[in-house]
Amino acid sequence: MKAATLRRSIVIALIALWEILPRAGLIPELFLPSLSSTLLAGWNEAGEFGHALAVTLYEVAVSMAFACGGGILLGAVVGSLPRPRILIMPMVSSLYAVPLVILYPVFTVWLGIGSESKIAFASIYGFLPTMLATAAGIQTIDPQLLLAARSMGATLSQRLVRVIIPAAIPTVLSGLRVGGALVIVGVVVSEMLISSAGIGYLISRYRTILDSPHVFAGVLLVLAMAMAFNAAIKWIERKASIWQTGTRGGQSTADDIAAGALRPAT
Amino acid sequence: MQPLANITPIKPAGAIEVRNVGQIFKTTSQDVVALENVSLDVKPGRFVVLVGPSGCGKSTLLMMMAGLRQQTSGTITISGAPIPQPDPNRVGVVFQEASLFPWLTAEENVEFPLALRGVSKADRRAKAQDALQLVGLDGFGKRHPHELSGGMKQRVSIARGLVQDPPVLLMDEPFAALDEQTRMTMGDELLRIWAATGKTVVFVTHSLTEAVYLADEVIVMSPRPGRIVDHLQVSLPRPRTYEMLSGDAFGSLRDRIWRHIRKSA
Repeated sequence: MKAATLRRSIVIALIALWEILPRAGLIPELFLPSLSSTLLAGWNEAGEFGHALAVTLYEVAVSMAFACGGGILLGAVVGSLPRPRILIMPMVSSLYAVPLVILYPVFTVWLGIGSESKIAFASIYGFLPTMLATAAGIQTIDPQLLLAARSMGATLSQRLVRVIIPAAIPTVLSGLRVGGALVIVGVVVSEMLISSAGIGYLISRYRTILDSPHVFAGVLLVLAMAMAFNAAIKWIERKASIWQTGTRGGQSTADDIAAGALRPAT
Repeated sequence: MQPLANITPIKPAGAIEVRNVGQIFKTTSQDVVALENVSLDVKPGRFVVLVGPSGCGKSTLLMMMAGLRQQTSGTITISGAPIPQPDPNRVGVVFQEASLFPWLTAEENVEFPLALRGVSKADRRAKAQDALQLVGLDGFGKRHPHELSGGMKQRVSIARGLVQDPPVLLMDEPFAALDEQTRMTMGDELLRIWAATGKTVVFVTHSLTEAVYLADEVIVMSPRPGRIVDHLQVSLPRPRTYEMLSGDAFGSLRDRIWRHIRKSA
């Protein structure tokens, strides 16, 4: 059996088990409500979930813009200039090892329990890997390529647009993949901790009243969001970095980074 | 056409003149003299090879001829005019293997210097086709570098260096990363291209065999400080053949270079 088919069958089997096991009484509905009752719960409260999803999506979108925009910008500066690199990189790298979630209560004190504190937290959370990857992507550009471009008369701006940016794209994208995923994590986690709106808030509220079907409906929504994000990144990767597919090491390295090398302590 | 008034060649196109050139690298602890009082004349259409041990400044000298680095003292002229910055209309440069842009096809790589100058797409394509044909890569234009062998990549690099038809081609250890067989083939290919185009070629290498096999003239350099210690005329007939490698004339030239290098290494 091909790996893809196998993978698909495993997913289908898991979905089926989700429905069958609770219905057969093998798992209490409190621990795992069946898929159909989860979907039904979500459907019955569609208005509430829809509103929560809108809040969460808004927070994710704004945080994503901050995290990715800021990460790419600062990463580019840090990657191309040695002095800021020496100043900032050790700081950022050690900050990356800190479980940043401990800072979230501080943000709520500063910014309140509305969207602002979530956006601040998720932005910083996603910013770090994006910046580190961008800096690495620019730092590791083969100097021979820049020298060759210069020998052909490329000006500084031509070197930036025609060499530095295309050469850095694969690494930056793998950073975005991690950074974006962390933005989603950051938003949902902070909503679960201290909040008054959003999917994370709903999950946490329904949990306190032991309403498992609604909890799982929220979990499903977060899952769907993460999968949509992943699909979007994959699509961009396919569009933007065709040249990576051929370098045998290249793609697997990017996957390694995405898979774990850049994971922080949560 | 661009106005040529300010770079009207006094010398015939392709002549290289190096006069009393020195290069000092300033480091925090001390100044390193990379080149000292180097003078050299290359006549148009000649194939000149620079050899010498690591650190003798041969690549530095080549970079200065390309306008990629400025000398501390002395003058360098290409086709009669100084070269304060790279000028792909006068000088094409070929580097080691890694210098093709991996995200562009072979064709786009060759077009790159033309695209920088805003040449129209159709013109670019036509010139790139000609250049690729010249280096024997007809039909490989749509491939990306990772789909090409080491030798083919270097052919693309040569095509890129020649696409604007400069009278001078500078080559910095272009075959160093290739295996022995490919290296031999590429040497013959380069000689064929050189004969077909009549370019002035300055070629840097570590390989004594390659030096003697390719060159009209071999310049031997020594390190600390980098200077020219010998200038050999290679009078072996052309076309060069594999059999010459084992001949006495070839051997004595190679021995003479080796004696210089052994002394300084």
